[in-house]
Amino acid sequence: MKVRKSYLLLASVTVWILLGRLLNGTHTLQIATYENTAFTSYIGEKALDFRGNRTESTAFIYFFNPIRGAIDGFVQIIRNLIAVPAQNSVIPIIGWLGVVAIVAFAVYATSQWRTALLAVSLLLACGALGMWQFTMDSIAMTLAAVLLSLAIGIPLGIWAGLSDRVLKIFTPFLDLAQILPTLVYMAPIALVFMIGAASATIATMIYSIPIAIRITSHAIRNLNQAPVEAAESMGSTQKQKLTKVQIPMAKQMIVLGINQTVMAAVSFVVIAALIGAPGLGKPVIEALIIRNVGQGFVAGFAVVFLAILLDRSTSAAAKRQDSFIPETEKQIKTKRITLIVAGILTIVAVFMSRTMLWAAVWPKEVTIAPQVAKVTNDATAWILENLTIFTVGFKDLISYAFLNPLETQLAASPWYVTVAMIVALALIIGGTRIAILSFVLSMAIVLSGLWYEAMLTLTQTIVGCLLTMIIGLALGIWTGRSDRAERALRPFLDAGQTLPAFVYLVPMLGLFGPTRFTAIATGIVYSIPVVVKIVCEGIRAVPHSLIEAATAAGSTTRQIITKVQLPAAKKTMLLATNQGLIYVLAVVVIGGFVGAGGLGYLVIAGNSKPELQGKGLIAGVAILLLGVIFDRIMQAGARRSS
Amino acid sequence: MSSASPMISVRNLWKVFGNNPEKVIGSPDALLTRTELRAKTGNTIAVRDVSFDVAPGEVFVVMGLSGSGKSTLVRCMTRLIEPTQGQLQFEGEDILKVDNARLRELRKTRFSMVFQHFGLLPHRKVIDNIAYSLEINGVKKDARHARANEVIELVGLQGYANAYPEQLSGGMQQRVGLARALAVDPQVLFLDEPFSALDPLIRRDMQQEVIRLHHELGKTMVFITHDLSEAVKVGDRIAIMRDGAIVQIGTPEDLVANPADEYVANFVRDIAKSHVLTLKHLARKAEPGDATDGPELAANTIIRDAAQVILQSHKPVRVNDNGAALGIVSSEDVLRLISGGA
Ligand SMILES: Nc1ncnc2c1ncn2[C@@H]1O[C@H](COP(=O)(O)OP(=O)(O)OP(=O)(O)O)[C@@H](O)[C@H]1O
Ligand SMILES: [Mg+2]
Repeated sequence: MKVRKSYLLLASVTVWILLGRLLNGTHTLQIATYENTAFTSYIGEKALDFRGNRTESTAFIYFFNPIRGAIDGFVQIIRNLIAVPAQNSVIPIIGWLGVVAIVAFAVYATSQWRTALLAVSLLLACGALGMWQFTMDSIAMTLAAVLLSLAIGIPLGIWAGLSDRVLKIFTPFLDLAQILPTLVYMAPIALVFMIGAASATIATMIYSIPIAIRITSHAIRNLNQAPVEAAESMGSTQKQKLTKVQIPMAKQMIVLGINQTVMAAVSFVVIAALIGAPGLGKPVIEALIIRNVGQGFVAGFAVVFLAILLDRSTSAAAKRQDSFIPETEKQIKTKRITLIVAGILTIVAVFMSRTMLWAAVWPKEVTIAPQVAKVTNDATAWILENLTIFTVGFKDLISYAFLNPLETQLAASPWYVTVAMIVALALIIGGTRIAILSFVLSMAIVLSGLWYEAMLTLTQTIVGCLLTMIIGLALGIWTGRSDRAERALRPFLDAGQTLPAFVYLVPMLGLFGPTRFTAIATGIVYSIPVVVKIVCEGIRAVPHSLIEAATAAGSTTRQIITKVQLPAAKKTMLLATNQGLIYVLAVVVIGGFVGAGGLGYLVIAGNSKPELQGKGLIAGVAILLLGVIFDRIMQAGARRSS
Repeated sequence: MSSASPMISVRNLWKVFGNNPEKVIGSPDALLTRTELRAKTGNTIAVRDVSFDVAPGEVFVVMGLSGSGKSTLVRCMTRLIEPTQGQLQFEGEDILKVDNARLRELRKTRFSMVFQHFGLLPHRKVIDNIAYSLEINGVKKDARHARANEVIELVGLQGYANAYPEQLSGGMQQRVGLARALAVDPQVLFLDEPFSALDPLIRRDMQQEVIRLHHELGKTMVFITHDLSEAVKVGDRIAIMRDGAIVQIGTPEDLVANPADEYVANFVRDIAKSHVLTLKHLARKAEPGDATDGPELAANTIIRDAAQVILQSHKPVRVNDNGAALGIVSSEDVLRLISGGA
């Protein structure tokens, strides 16, 4: 049965290659970037009409516009507080000194002074990079999105935690949110809520609410049920059970969920600059567009600092909840006194930042931005001059060995050959249902008129995923087998997962220039941590007794890895591949505007070029369809292999 | 014991897990074994047509192997699990008919449960764990703490009122569990394998504790265990369950002396007979040559407790059941029983 399957796969690939060679260049459905098909221009017109309706249709007047207004207002209040002056004012309500003091106080109050010190240093570093106002804007956007996300996500999460029915209803949406590339839903939201802070906030919320729901419901569901049952046996009402038992017990996990929600929000807020989010995303995008690596690094560092700051302060708060035993009276007393002192100092600082100009506006002279830009620009130049052999060599190697042949095969073959191949693969790996689904979705892409672009994106995603899996598997097996390796790599993996994908584009642009390879490399770097983590866990989950038995039977290390650990962890491997694919796809499309082309470019261009709006919207859908095809085939494969 | 009206009365109680549970009861499927039924309909009969009474002040023990339905039965009795069918009365009140408010009322004031895994609230101090049920009863803080301190003393946890559960050993945590159950002064305690998670020495202490509390407070108890020696030690009567059904109910002596079937016999085989049987079981007619002027002992004396007197006496002991002479027991009779003979 197994053997037959791999023969089938081999046979269909051979047929595919032969057909592709034979019919090369025919029926590729390629159209020029600025060309529209009847369908794309129809959608473009519809979008235009839709937008024109903003002041007329009831849906807008009574629903969308009020929401936009409310959220805009909410964001504006927070921005006025720390980032931008309100209407008839020249400075924000709280100047930089006040913000630094408040952050220090808040972090100190929820965790410890060391974390507070780190937070202050990172904040000052952002200021020194000349990014104070952008940073404040990003914080304000993140704060607004997080507050709203939690206000919605935590209650829904609790609800889903208590009721199986509700969870069942939510699950498909939560699953979809996990595979939805971020780029996909920005354009439709911007269409409804206009480019600007409101759209950015809503898009961010769509990204982060599922995370809050998922973790909260998980927290409630995975509580030790014994105390919950005991509370019920004592005659508690549902409400008493919830407020006196379940929520207090789940608090620690929920705080962890807050941390994850914050991190999701901050990484999205940066990317949401594409639809008008104020903040650090703007200078990053600008730098990427004008290919100024130095400036990109300056803004990119600020993003990294902000991410670390938010991660450290929220995860430290979660850690403090580790034990249910509160501090002793004495500890509480000392902390209370220091808190009072710190509170007074904070109030003084805030007051100063409202009355003295030096404390209100970040002094322009205090900056290291030019130096950082120069150093990174010089470094890039040096690399381009001296290491081209390696970077270009690597790039060319991958391009000639993988990218070009695959692109020829996927994009330059007639569309019906490629569709047939996808359906055949789905049939062999996933079965009839998956094959039908793949056929329908592929045909939808064909009919949308963006087949050629989709195949470019597919090529890049597959190659990126392939490389990710090679590197990720190696690192994952290594860390899975060695505690030392795990300890050494863990900080990088954690850090890698908290940074927004966007900032990886900057150094990759420096290394590889504006090519599709930059997008692929970014995708690889971004998705390796998650793949390594999953593989590592899978290897570690293989029962020790299996390995002992194999060792006792005289297996070599290589045999143990290939004959015992990998097969036993097969399901995890497939899961890792699936995650890798989804991550790479999400990043590769963002790489669209540093020269990767494909669907991602259309989506991003659609935001700014009216004539491409229709194409952009459809491209977003096409990305989603590609993602779903991948995801379904891989998931089915994983299910069947287990 | 059967004379007084029962505290709890269970009649034909069923609990079937899975879809359409009512359909299984009364159908031919109900006769299938667990595995067969599960394969066929996906249902599990956890409690099968169970009936028994618990008298006021009695300690009623339910025993059985893992999976025999003990926990399900005890949870059905407090409706933490809804029974599928049957009657359940508490002091004459039909528990299965009461609405949620009344059920909560009963749980708050009349029944208490003690759990195998303690089920303490990790975020509350010992005293607030114990005061929890008073708190949801609306008792003011001072009053409920005063009461909690009383029960803390009762279970011997003085000095730990302000500790948190995770700072206590398992045995102490279960004392908190007991104290919590006693705080509302309930009429019935349900204990689901309360000491299974404790190590043997602590377990023995805790068994003593339950016996002491029972003597002091006279609560009715339904006590679940799979440890026979524990059952014998604390129980007035023992019900033995297999695959959801009760196979036999009786005093420890009944079970050892007249096991209903092989299953029960296997169950009680490991028990030292001298620990459960009374002199009544050993008493025989005096044969010619037996002295009939030995010391006199009551028929309901446990053999273990009588052994010393019998073995030290040169003459067989005369057994007396409320004034009627049942016969005699000699040293040889006792030795034969202890060494494993009939
Ligand atoms: N919620 C449930 N859904 C389906 N089956 C259940 C459920 N709870 C218990 N069962 C089944 O009912 C049967 C009786 O379980 P129960 O927990 O009452 O046994 P037990 O005698 O308490 O065992 P143990 O000594 O292991 O605690 C078991 O076969 C169990 O698998
Ligand atoms: Mg049980």
